[in-house]
Amino acid sequence: MSSSLINPVHVESTGGLSVWVRGIGATITGWPAAYRAALAKNRRRTILLTVLVATVLLYPLIYTAIPSGLTRILPLPSSPVIVFMLIFAIMAIGLNVVIGFAGLLDLGYVAFYALGAYTAAFLASPHWGGVSVVLFSNVPAGFPGIHLPFMFIILVAAAVAALFGALLGAPTLRLRGDYLAIVTLGFGEIVPIFFKNLVNVNFSFGPIQLVNANLTGGPLGINPIDAPGLFGIKFGVINGFAPVYLGMGLVLIAIVIARNLERSRMGRAWMAIREDEIAAEMMGVNTVRTKLLAFALGAAFAGVAGALQASYQGATTSDFFMFSTSILVVIMIILGGIGNIWGVIVGAVFVQYVDKTLLSWAGQRMADIGNATGLEQFGDINPSSFSFLLLGIALVVMMRFRPEGFIPSRQRAAEMHVAPPGQAIGSIGLIEEEGLVPELDPTEPGGDEDPEIAEVPGEEPVGETIAESRGEVTDEEQPR
Amino acid sequence: MTVAGTTAQGPTPLTGHVPDDQILVRARQVTKRFGGLVAVNAVDFDIPRGSIVSLIGPNGAGKTTFFNMITGAYVPTSGEISFDGHAIVTTKGSKVRSLKPHQVTALGIGRTFQNIRLFSTMSALDNVLVGQHVHLRSRWWDAVLRTPRNSLEEEASVARAHELLAFVGLDERPHAWARNLPYGDQRRLEIARALATSPKLLLLDEPTAGMNASETRDLTDFIRRLRSELGLTVLLIEHDMRVVMGISDRVTVLDYGEVLAEGSPAEVRANPRVIEAYLGRGAAEEA
Repeated sequence: MSSSLINPVHVESTGGLSVWVRGIGATITGWPAAYRAALAKNRRRTILLTVLVATVLLYPLIYTAIPSGLTRILPLPSSPVIVFMLIFAIMAIGLNVVIGFAGLLDLGYVAFYALGAYTAAFLASPHWGGVSVVLFSNVPAGFPGIHLPFMFIILVAAAVAALFGALLGAPTLRLRGDYLAIVTLGFGEIVPIFFKNLVNVNFSFGPIQLVNANLTGGPLGINPIDAPGLFGIKFGVINGFAPVYLGMGLVLIAIVIARNLERSRMGRAWMAIREDEIAAEMMGVNTVRTKLLAFALGAAFAGVAGALQASYQGATTSDFFMFSTSILVVIMIILGGIGNIWGVIVGAVFVQYVDKTLLSWAGQRMADIGNATGLEQFGDINPSSFSFLLLGIALVVMMRFRPEGFIPSRQRAAEMHVAPPGQAIGSIGLIEEEGLVPELDPTEPGGDEDPEIAEVPGEEPVGETIAESRGEVTDEEQPR
Repeated sequence: MTVAGTTAQGPTPLTGHVPDDQILVRARQVTKRFGGLVAVNAVDFDIPRGSIVSLIGPNGAGKTTFFNMITGAYVPTSGEISFDGHAIVTTKGSKVRSLKPHQVTALGIGRTFQNIRLFSTMSALDNVLVGQHVHLRSRWWDAVLRTPRNSLEEEASVARAHELLAFVGLDERPHAWARNLPYGDQRRLEIARALATSPKLLLLDEPTAGMNASETRDLTDFIRRLRSELGLTVLLIEHDMRVVMGISDRVTVLDYGEVLAEGSPAEVRANPRVIEAYLGRGAAEEA
């Protein structure tokens, strides 16, 4: 241990592509061993998880075999509902990067969802009837409009959403907390309205001449959009359970990306910003750039979700991208557990399940009761129309009994159950001084500093008493 | 790195001329106004390489404000600050330009805070890793794709973080959350995090605040080690006079935002203006 301790880490050679391929290969081939290790460590939990994963993977196949009599008794989600669960899971994972990791409250997340959907609509539909570009698509050659392969569209949608995330973030991320929320909320409102109104565009600038141009299909939206295809297999809404696996694949990729980001230099920088932005900046984190990255990468997830949604449904309209969708995603990550990837996925699945399966099932059963008893009023009650009321109640109940969510991150659980960290030992630091002139008044001795500078402090173990009082509050080092 | 006359045998006066290339920090006519209040007024201040310099003064004298201007947290109203040949603050006419704090950190200035500002629900190890952030080169796509650059850098930086924790004596619980550490350990973790930024100059804002006598002694020895083992230059804000007089090569006294006195600890201690500022006129006359 010498002065080398002070020198920064520097990686000279990385070995390039072959090392990377070998590393990825080792990770994959290491799976059986890793699984055995997990089994040895916690047998019950591992088996439980295995069964859960197998059930989830096999569910679409099982569902087609379930007799319809059973779905009347049990509210089981159908394939389209599962696809929407997966679409929203991708959104929740992305919003979790923004809110959960970096601590930036984004209330206009639906804007990026819309951008993704319209990107898919522009690149895989007969909307641009004047041209015919068909590349690696299921559509016959010479078909009017632009038709690009789904995997390419996904990437473009992610890039477009990230670009707009960066464009929105660049001027606004200097704002903090509530102000950022308000600006993003506005953006979330503007984008769908923008898409709704770009229908009779008259525009002239240099060589660009638009006369009554229909850019976005207006209130009718764009319809039809090519179904997602991969290696010749179609994954549209009419294709049964196939798109579920496409969605699962995308969610899996989203999970891997989000986890890799979380456990990296960037993930740590995001968390540092969330914990104490000024300290993070002082420790060398370029906070503006780092927050911008969180915002743009988070937006990219919504872009992918939007593209999947538009392609899967085969249509997109601006009405689909309401403010309520932004709030729905926020509710998902709050209920599921902000900061925890698995938590927010559970939140997305739960909310979509309640919204799309449980409530409509309840409505049908109400109608059944109405028919059986002759009380027609029962059949008129439509529980689906109460979905936001019920989610609101769920949120209130959650905040009362488990504010950290179903599967919380360690940080969030600790914050919700313990007094805020006692950082304010000593007082006159940076934040107190910021913009607060009276704090600095040299004619007034400050509160906590010892004015009698020449006096040697006594032997009082101040530090220990503080430490003790803290140990009392936070003796649980690793909640959960 | 050690300047002649500032050897480990003990502090000696540094009143003579110090060659330019031996000055690590040079501040000229630095002024900071908050509205009508002049917090720091036309301060000239030099920190020689390899020295331990203390900044003392009564409350509200402008010590922390001065700190914050060196680190880029505040933009001065006017003045110039340079560090190791790089301009941190420049004034041209009425235009004052200052580097951002993260840029200053990248140049090699690390700091701790008067009130502890650790990332409280991150582990001790992660706190130190964040300190290394500025010198790491992996980009987000490296992280997403788990490229060799990311993996190797991660491995090396974790190893270095463990070494740094060991250096400050915190290697026993690297995965404990910062806020669950005892108070003294939190102070040391802050220093480890500052060291992780690979500083040439370390700014310590009241490092012994809230410590008892033996903890204070340990920390004083530790600050000496920072210089002798890591070759650091240290700027200290401190109220404990035993610490200041014990380890400083040079002491600067600020009062009402102005330099009241400057020199070796012995000179400053004997300065009647300093005694007056601290203890009042009567005490100064008695002395």
